[in-house]
Amino acid sequence: MSTLASDRRSARIARTAGERARRRKNLRAATLFLLPALSFLVVFRLAPIVIVVRDSFRATGEWVGLENFRFLFESGVFRESLLVTLRFNLIVNPLQVTIAIVLALAIADGARRAGLWQTLNLLPIAVPLAVSAVVWGVAFRPDDGIVNAVLAAVGLPDQPWLTSPDQALMAIIILASWVGVGYWSLFLVAGLHQITPSVVEAAALDGAGYWRTLRSVRLPLMRRALAFVLVADTVVNLLLFAPIQILTRGGPEGSTNVAMFDAYRTAFVFDDLALAAAQTVLLIAVVLLIVAVQFRLLNAPSVGDES
Amino acid sequence: MSSSNRTRTLVATLVAASITLLFMLPMLWLVVSAFRPQADIFRYLSPLSFEAIVPTRVTLDNFAALFEKSFGRALFNSVFVAAVAVAIGLFVNSLAAFALSAIEFPGRRIVFVVVVVSFLVPFESIAIPLSDTVRSIGLDNGYPALIAPGVANGFAIFLLRQFFLAVPWELADAARLDGANLWQIYRHVYLPLNKAPMIGAGIMIFIFQWQAYLWPLLVTNSPQLEVAPVALAKLIGQFDFDAGQMFAGAVLLAIIPALVILPLQRHFTRSVARTGNK
Repeated sequence: MSTLASDRRSARIARTAGERARRRKNLRAATLFLLPALSFLVVFRLAPIVIVVRDSFRATGEWVGLENFRFLFESGVFRESLLVTLRFNLIVNPLQVTIAIVLALAIADGARRAGLWQTLNLLPIAVPLAVSAVVWGVAFRPDDGIVNAVLAAVGLPDQPWLTSPDQALMAIIILASWVGVGYWSLFLVAGLHQITPSVVEAAALDGAGYWRTLRSVRLPLMRRALAFVLVADTVVNLLLFAPIQILTRGGPEGSTNVAMFDAYRTAFVFDDLALAAAQTVLLIAVVLLIVAVQFRLLNAPSVGDES
Repeated sequence: MSSSNRTRTLVATLVAASITLLFMLPMLWLVVSAFRPQADIFRYLSPLSFEAIVPTRVTLDNFAALFEKSFGRALFNSVFVAAVAVAIGLFVNSLAAFALSAIEFPGRRIVFVVVVVSFLVPFESIAIPLSDTVRSIGLDNGYPALIAPGVANGFAIFLLRQFFLAVPWELADAARLDGANLWQIYRHVYLPLNKAPMIGAGIMIFIFQWQAYLWPLLVTNSPQLEVAPVALAKLIGQFDFDAGQMFAGAVLLAIIPALVILPLQRHFTRSVARTGNK
């Protein structure tokens, strides 16, 4: 018995020694495999993050502490742009996710030709966003755009859309939703398909109706997909840029001056890179905060969870 | 039971079809307008008639005019930049994913965290300071500047790693016993087994480049390097704005990824569903 144990111990020592040599060799190999991708990631993702954080504490090359941030929060334009970003996101995200859920439910609940609907609804994401923006710019033209033509056909008066401070943001919301909904529903369909049918059938046998089953069984069970879509969609919309730059340039009267566009304008119109860096840092902080919330949601335990 | 099922299928089909119709109307209008003479584009709008989304006189004039304005060059730039990024990116990202899944080495977790952080911070948010760096080292106004940010994709590495982890270790062990080195295991075991995730990763890299708008705007100002979305967006700013050409450009830009991605995407979701089922 003791010989057996000592045998085992010596075997283990031999193995750990061999293991250490193997790990060293592995480290060399892994470095070679990782080097190309990591160099690109460091130069084009990580270094800019470090630089932008450093620059946000500087002005004309000098360390100024939180001066840039203080200036931003005292600036009416910046506070206004935060409000616009908030207003935009509070409408566009629930809207897109709700339509995407309805579409996903219809597709997952056995709609005929499901593949066709799914493929067609993916077409808008294939169009570069900048191009969708240009197309919708024409559609929204007050005098000869197709949107007002459709309104007129059902007896509604012409609307000013992008030319009005009251409607420009709504026009951008419509455009962004046209692009995003089909794409996000793809992930939700995948989430719905992951639910074991017997769980839903059991709820039905217990007398739960469609809405009850949806609210208490299906939506909680597709929590991961839903959380991913909600957060990814919010991140995309927090950083929405192309339609604003192409169609409204923040106007009319600052009504579409979202934070991302305001940072771009600070950098390239007002030529203040340090202030733009501070704006970028704040944006990154908000995005990371949302991602952190996503991880909380993803890891939250739930009843009847299957892994 | 079967009658309630039938009602459910009917309602589901109706809902899916009406949402799709709502989303496809602008698409239809876009495509039909692209093949229409300039004079006809706004003709059926007031009052609105169904001809607005039905082809009447079909012409390729808009496309021809677009290519006279060097849109061909911009289209080539876009395709070229995306193709090179996908080729280099797939190679580089799959190598990294292989290291993070098949090789045990000290610091593996840290490297993985670095990869995750890299895709948590959206590219748009760091594009401005990065463009400043690129300009200061004189790399701006060239294809490398357009291509480089799209090559390494943290999300693609993450996706590939998940699938590489699912490769049975017996296969790699058997190959090792046969005298294969790590490169050969990567090349002849992992890549052939992971065609679908490679397609998925390729689509991600492609879309990143194809959608790029802010970055090209930041690092190029020469017309020779203009990518198609930027070229097309400039059309709307010009006072001789031509809606027909704009629609034609939009159709071209939508059709290329649709032709490439949609058949591949179906293949991709099918294989993901398969892995999920077992």
